[in-house]
Amino acid sequence: MHTYNPISALLVFFSIGALLYFLFRPSKGWYWILKNQLTSNEKTIIEDVLKQLYHFENSNNKVDMKTLVHMLSFSNKKIVDAINIMTVNNLIYFESDILKLTEKGREYALRIVRVHRLWERYLAEKTGFHKIEWHDRAESMEHRLNHDEVEELSRHLGHPKFDPHGDPIPTKTGKMAQVKGVELPLLQVGAMGRITHIEDEPEVIYKQILAENIHIGSLIKVVENNVTRIVFLSEGEEFKLAPIVAANLTVAPLEKEILVEDNVTRLSSLTENETAKIIGISRESRGESRRRLLDLGFVKGAQVSIDLVNPLGEPNAYLIKGTSIALRNDQAAKILIKKD
Amino acid sequence: METKIQSACETCEHFNRDGLKKLGVRTDNFDFVVALAGNPNTGKSTVFNALTGLRQHTGNWPGKTVTRAEGGFEYNTKKYKLVDLPGTYSLMSTSEDEEAARDFILFGKPDVTVIVVDANRLERNLNLVLQILEITDKAVLCLNLMDEAKRNDVEIDVRTLSRDLGIPVVPASARFNRGIPELIQTISEIASGKMVCKPHRIKSVPENIEKAVKTLTVEIEKEFPNISNSRWIAFRLLEGDKKIIEALRKGEFV
Amino acid sequence: MKQNNIDHIIELSNELRWQIGDEFHDNLTESIYADAADIVKDTVRSKDSERRFRLDAKIDKIVTSKRFGFPIMFLILGTVLWLTIQGANYPSSLLANLLLDIIHPALKSGAAGLGMPWWLDGFLIDGVYLAVAWVIAVMLPPMAIFFPMFTLLEDFGYLPRVAFNLDALFNKSGAHGKQALTMSMGFGCNAAGVVATRIIDSPRERLIAILTNNFSLCNGRWPTQILIATIFIGAVVPKSLSSFVSLLAVIGVAVLGMVFMFGVSWGLSKTVLKGEVSTFNLELPPYRPPRFWKTIYTSLIDRTLIVLWRAIVFAAPAGAVIWLISNIHIGNESIAAWAIHSMDGFGFLLGLNGVILLAYIVAIPANEIVIPTILMLTVLVTGVGVGEGAGVMFELDSINATADVLKAGGWTLLTAINLMLFSLLHNPCSTTIYTIYKETNSVKWTVVASVMPVILGFIVTFLVAQLWRLMF
Ligand SMILES: Nc1nc2c(ncn2[C@@H]2O[C@H](COP(=O)(O)OP(=O)(O)OP(=O)(O)O)[C@@H](O)[C@H]2O)c(=O)[nH]1
Ligand SMILES: [Mg+2]
Repeated sequence: MHTYNPISALLVFFSIGALLYFLFRPSKGWYWILKNQLTSNEKTIIEDVLKQLYHFENSNNKVDMKTLVHMLSFSNKKIVDAINIMTVNNLIYFESDILKLTEKGREYALRIVRVHRLWERYLAEKTGFHKIEWHDRAESMEHRLNHDEVEELSRHLGHPKFDPHGDPIPTKTGKMAQVKGVELPLLQVGAMGRITHIEDEPEVIYKQILAENIHIGSLIKVVENNVTRIVFLSEGEEFKLAPIVAANLTVAPLEKEILVEDNVTRLSSLTENETAKIIGISRESRGESRRRLLDLGFVKGAQVSIDLVNPLGEPNAYLIKGTSIALRNDQAAKILIKKD
Repeated sequence: METKIQSACETCEHFNRDGLKKLGVRTDNFDFVVALAGNPNTGKSTVFNALTGLRQHTGNWPGKTVTRAEGGFEYNTKKYKLVDLPGTYSLMSTSEDEEAARDFILFGKPDVTVIVVDANRLERNLNLVLQILEITDKAVLCLNLMDEAKRNDVEIDVRTLSRDLGIPVVPASARFNRGIPELIQTISEIASGKMVCKPHRIKSVPENIEKAVKTLTVEIEKEFPNISNSRWIAFRLLEGDKKIIEALRKGEFV
Repeated sequence: MKQNNIDHIIELSNELRWQIGDEFHDNLTESIYADAADIVKDTVRSKDSERRFRLDAKIDKIVTSKRFGFPIMFLILGTVLWLTIQGANYPSSLLANLLLDIIHPALKSGAAGLGMPWWLDGFLIDGVYLAVAWVIAVMLPPMAIFFPMFTLLEDFGYLPRVAFNLDALFNKSGAHGKQALTMSMGFGCNAAGVVATRIIDSPRERLIAILTNNFSLCNGRWPTQILIATIFIGAVVPKSLSSFVSLLAVIGVAVLGMVFMFGVSWGLSKTVLKGEVSTFNLELPPYRPPRFWKTIYTSLIDRTLIVLWRAIVFAAPAGAVIWLISNIHIGNESIAAWAIHSMDGFGFLLGLNGVILLAYIVAIPANEIVIPTILMLTVLVTGVGVGEGAGVMFELDSINATADVLKAGGWTLLTAINLMLFSLLHNPCSTTIYTIYKETNSVKWTVVASVMPVILGFIVTFLVAQLWRLMF
């Protein structure tokens, strides 16, 4: 105990603390970086290359080595190595400069796409991650699941055909459903439809769509459509999008004319002494939380009013089918109502 | 039938008070299994305690019971095993906290299911009742909390309700032991097959769903001709319920 | 053949599911409710159909109002805690008197009469019996007061309103309003609090509530806090203020526990538990007059059984260990003394000492025996004149005598403060750990729940000790 003095003890303590922080802080910690580098092995690179090629070929674009290196965030050498292995294994071939998928390569790529989209679906239905994170998480997960795990996952999700952006999920045998619908700018004023797909690339545009309250599966009605902007109604709100943004939305026009309620608002905007009728639950609410709301009686046509206002503003208690049920504001904002 | 007029039970001439024995936790050699299902906080555990003489925790708090409890009673020389289930809002969700109740009603194959409902909030409770009636046709509705309903000026036409649902309805106030004798009598009659129910089946299903359900039920009934709840299985298959799919594969429904 | 048909059915259902689309569940629920509405229309007549029943609405308006909601809540919690602590005093000392002062000597002389060897009677009576007796004397009375009161509130229907009022606070740290109740249960007993988390139906929030329940000071720790605060903190202020200040210190520790609870909840929800499903709904049941005597009777019986069981299963072995380590000698030192000396250095860094650390290790099974163990161990190493012999736990009737022993053990104000902090921030008792394992079914979460608070305790006491030594 000779060398002890409080200051040096504190110094030792804080340096250990700082070290731990730099090692383990989320995403930028040295430990994670190192781990990532070790695990981003050959397999990952090969699978990423395959996926890129697959997407490019699907949109009828051609890829040479240069664009590929540009697209992927691995070192030059690693990519070249991977490409060599892939040609030897008959996954890709060169047509002059252009890289092309072989039949086998295409199959492999489809498998990766399948895992990616299934995992996004899983994240959307069964976890609490925010939709902004779905893509990146799926991106790292797609290299990790083996065949049996993927099948189990698919079964667990009820063999879904579309991912949460509306992209079709390839089946085990590589078949894919068709996305129904047309790009939003092609709809006439007054037309109604259901959003079936939201394109997630390029990211800038996708982020813009995410920021709005636009959700797959919700009904829309076009009210204005010209070269500068497209205006439409969805779940009681009006959205104005530039045509280039709107083109990232695919909408299936409705066959039958159905009645769309106007003056739709959100349960969160209900005030004391008002009553309202429930129109439905926003498509933003999915999976378990949607089911729970329905079970609690928040179904179309039900009468609702505020039973108790919370002293801290949230959650308020709503009187629904004879019982008082408290919901937080973000939940109440997902319930569509029409005030009486 | 020996009919002693007992003060607690003047209205139910059939109830044989001497035939009842509360068995507590003794549930060996039972003849019938009775399940207690219902929404949270409707008084299931109170009914359970009244029937078995046990002291399951009750509390004015939705979700008080979290694991199932078992107890027994004997009535007219038949032994009944009673299972108190956690309250559920629905059998159609996949949330874990409702799993115990869901699985027991579906796979536990109770001989009688007692559905305990809050008479003050019948409409909301019927959501679960109608689902249970898709699964089983040996059920009795225990219209509990009648004392509160009376205080709140809620009147219920028990006979019409019973006719609409196709199962017997017993009004009760479990906390004050009212209606319990009638409930026991009804349970025994359903268990022995003396009383046959013809339960309500969900009607207002949209056309496209009904069509899909029909297609599936036909196929299911082809495979399992003796199954009584093929429609429910079809509903669940359409929902993609993993448990049901597995059960179907293993043939647990036959 | 059969399997093929079943596969066909399942394939078919997969196909049909996608034809129907996402709306299936919505539509089905809507149709069921439509049927329900039809049936209700025919059968239910209610004069007052939409509005909730009047008396209930009135009570609710008051207990959730901006002005009265919170004062009523704190008043009720305060009353419950005060009644528990004050009310438990008398029966506790009665029990202690009976079990420790009357039965213990009687057992000893009985054993002597039978000619039992000293080690057997020491092991059984001074070790096992004493630990069990301590736990019963300390734990039974407060539990028997706290839980019936809680149950009465529950039966009345008030508790969901507390969750309702406080949810916004918990929401901010990623937790569920119902955690307010599991935390309050934790003031009684952490194991009971952990079991009570079952009312939280969202998996993520439930886990948070389980992992942070230990930050509620439980009944086993209140007495320690009060004793130490009275001896050391009350002593630094003028006599007229001393009881008030020591009370304030205890409350401060409890509040600090809540601060840690919120902070740790927040941290957990942002890191390890990020991405777990989180849902919220809270049904406010109607008020119901509780059935007073029945409630009291059942919860008394229940609690008594729980405490007895706990005393036998967990405290008895702890008592045995305590006796053994103070009576088995290696060389010319008992194991206890040896352990104390080797932990003294680390203890010093934390502003504590080896005795305290050892006491907390052997008292993992039951927090109630910490103080008697500390006293016994202090006497063991310092050799001050009181006490009943190695491995015999005791507590002193007079606070002054206790203070003398502790001061002889080298205790200062810093030791006292850090002991209070460490009593708040250390691993849960073994009953709680076991309960956490049963409830989560996961070794990982059990380990996190047990280790995290100790690490926090080390860090906090360490920092306090260094700053203290810099300042004074
Ligand atoms: N007034 C009145 N209260 C009742 C009656 N039956 C039950 N209660 C009370 O209603 C509350 C809920 O009863 P429980 O038996 O715990 O309800 P449960 O259905 O088991 O609830 P969960 O376990 O949460 O699903 C308790 O406070 C009971 O005392 C009754 O007939 N009349
Ligand atoms: Mg119950």
